Amino acid sequence: MELSKRYRNTVALDGLSMTVERGEVFGFLGPNGAGKTTAVKLLLGLARPTGGEAMVLGAPAGDRETRRQIGYLPELFRFQSWLTAREVLVLHCRLMQLPRPRWAGEVDEALQTVGLADRGDDKVGTFSKGMQQRLGLGVALLGEPVLVVLDEPTSALDPVGRHQVRTIIRGLRDRGATVFLNTHLLAEAEHVCDRVTIISKGRAVATGTLSELRAQRPTVRLQVTGLPGGWWQPLAGFGRWTEAGDWLLVEDMAPGQVPELVAAIVSLGGQVEAVVPEQQSLEERFLELLGES
Amino acid sequence: MSAVLTIASLTVREAVRRRLVAAFVLISVVLVGLSSWGFYKLSHGGFTSGESNAALPGALILFMFMFSFVLALSASAIAAPAVSGEIDSGVLLTMVARPIRRSDVLLGKWLGLTGLLAAYTVLVCGLLVAVVYWATGYVAPDPAAAAAYLLAEGVVLLTLVLLLSTRLPTLAAGVIGIALFGIAWLAGVVGSLGTVFKIGALHTASVFSQYLLPTDGLWRGTIYYLEPSWWVGQQLSAAPEAQGDPFIATSAPAWPYVAWAGVWLLLVLALGLVSFERREL
Repeated sequence: MELSKRYRNTVALDGLSMTVERGEVFGFLGPNGAGKTTAVKLLLGLARPTGGEAMVLGAPAGDRETRRQIGYLPELFRFQSWLTAREVLVLHCRLMQLPRPRWAGEVDEALQTVGLADRGDDKVGTFSKGMQQRLGLGVALLGEPVLVVLDEPTSALDPVGRHQVRTIIRGLRDRGATVFLNTHLLAEAEHVCDRVTIISKGRAVATGTLSELRAQRPTVRLQVTGLPGGWWQPLAGFGRWTEAGDWLLVEDMAPGQVPELVAAIVSLGGQVEAVVPEQQSLEERFLELLGES
Repeated sequence: MSAVLTIASLTVREAVRRRLVAAFVLISVVLVGLSSWGFYKLSHGGFTSGESNAALPGALILFMFMFSFVLALSASAIAAPAVSGEIDSGVLLTMVARPIRRSDVLLGKWLGLTGLLAAYTVLVCGLLVAVVYWATGYVAPDPAAAAAYLLAEGVVLLTLVLLLSTRLPTLAAGVIGIALFGIAWLAGVVGSLGTVFKIGALHTASVFSQYLLPTDGLWRGTIYYLEPSWWVGQQLSAAPEAQGDPFIATSAPAWPYVAWAGVWLLLVLALGLVSFERREL
């Protein structure tokens, strides 16, 4: 709550408050430098807040025992280049103190899930960036974590890899895990997230489901004939009107006002040929929110 | 404890895979091979047995002095990147997010690196004792104690550089460690000069330096256990100012000083643990 982090003269987080529900895929969106990775590091205890506090799975952020239930894929990381992928996974099984009989199964499953089954015995140093990211994802999936924190998980992946990551994230949700997806790629969030928080300059500027975020200021496109002169005066209160060819555009409407608007047009003698609700894209809403903040 | 051992074995495995161990073995063989040739020549080069007997302890101390520098450089080189290098590369980020203490990571690295340094010291000292005996028949009074002091000197520097590595970039940590080691040795020489010329301030500065960084004080222990008492007596009677010779130790390090070196090591290690615990990643 009211999480703050300051690095000398730079404010990375400025009173960030948000709640992630168990079992949801939560998108943490923001432009580069908004404070996303800093927030993740505070949640995992890799850095300490200069103000406020955070609870993760019911314990203070960074709690050692709680970290047993967390899988984490950092944004910028490397594994030991002199180990094989399989050895890296075994190392993390050890560090997680998983029972030894489970190691082989966990490692094989992780390699299979991230598409590295045939490269398990190759040295990490021979992997491309994308393959290292896949391995990082595999490491984050070890031990059936309750919470999986993914910091820009697809930044080095090709379209096939991105699709696989989405499938993995949906699989995690299906088995009841919570996924905290830190990304600046809006398409990624649109594909998999149940709810998102948009962060800008270290503060949460909007939180909700994607449709809630988009619908905050609905826009309607209308095709109307037969309206009398001066028609716009009684209708001005519905929103901001602009003409676009044969169409009228009503922006910034209050939610749920479309039937009322149609009734008002009809009462003025207009004939409504078409009503097309305009879905604001997440990107438009995102840019709007960033502009406002 | 299992996390400490996991990190320690990982550290040793890295040294093997990255051919550090192979380099240690190669350097040891070259060093000892060349020195065995030198010792053989010294013993069979036409000197009288008295002359060669008098030269052997000094030559052995000189070899060990050279090796103490190699060991110090090695300690600094392996400890400097151990933390800072892995923070910079992002390797540590994935590990410390696991349910382990950061102190486990640092202790594991310290344990692994100390083990490597110990193996290196035992290898070189063991080989050297064997070849010197083979080439000349000479055995130093207490080579095991000398090797123990040499290792202690290396571990002191390794621990210091590991502490520096929790806060400073790799290069800075390594360079500072080596520079401090050199300064401490020089302070020891200055102290010896102070003793010879009866300049109290120089002697005091040297003692202060030996408490501040015990590498040189421990090196004196190595010298002491390598020199036969008859040889020391011979040197001092030939030239009384030899007590200022940086390669002669007239007494073993006193036990309070050895205890202080142990306390110093634990303090610096603890400081490293606290520093790494508080380091933001």
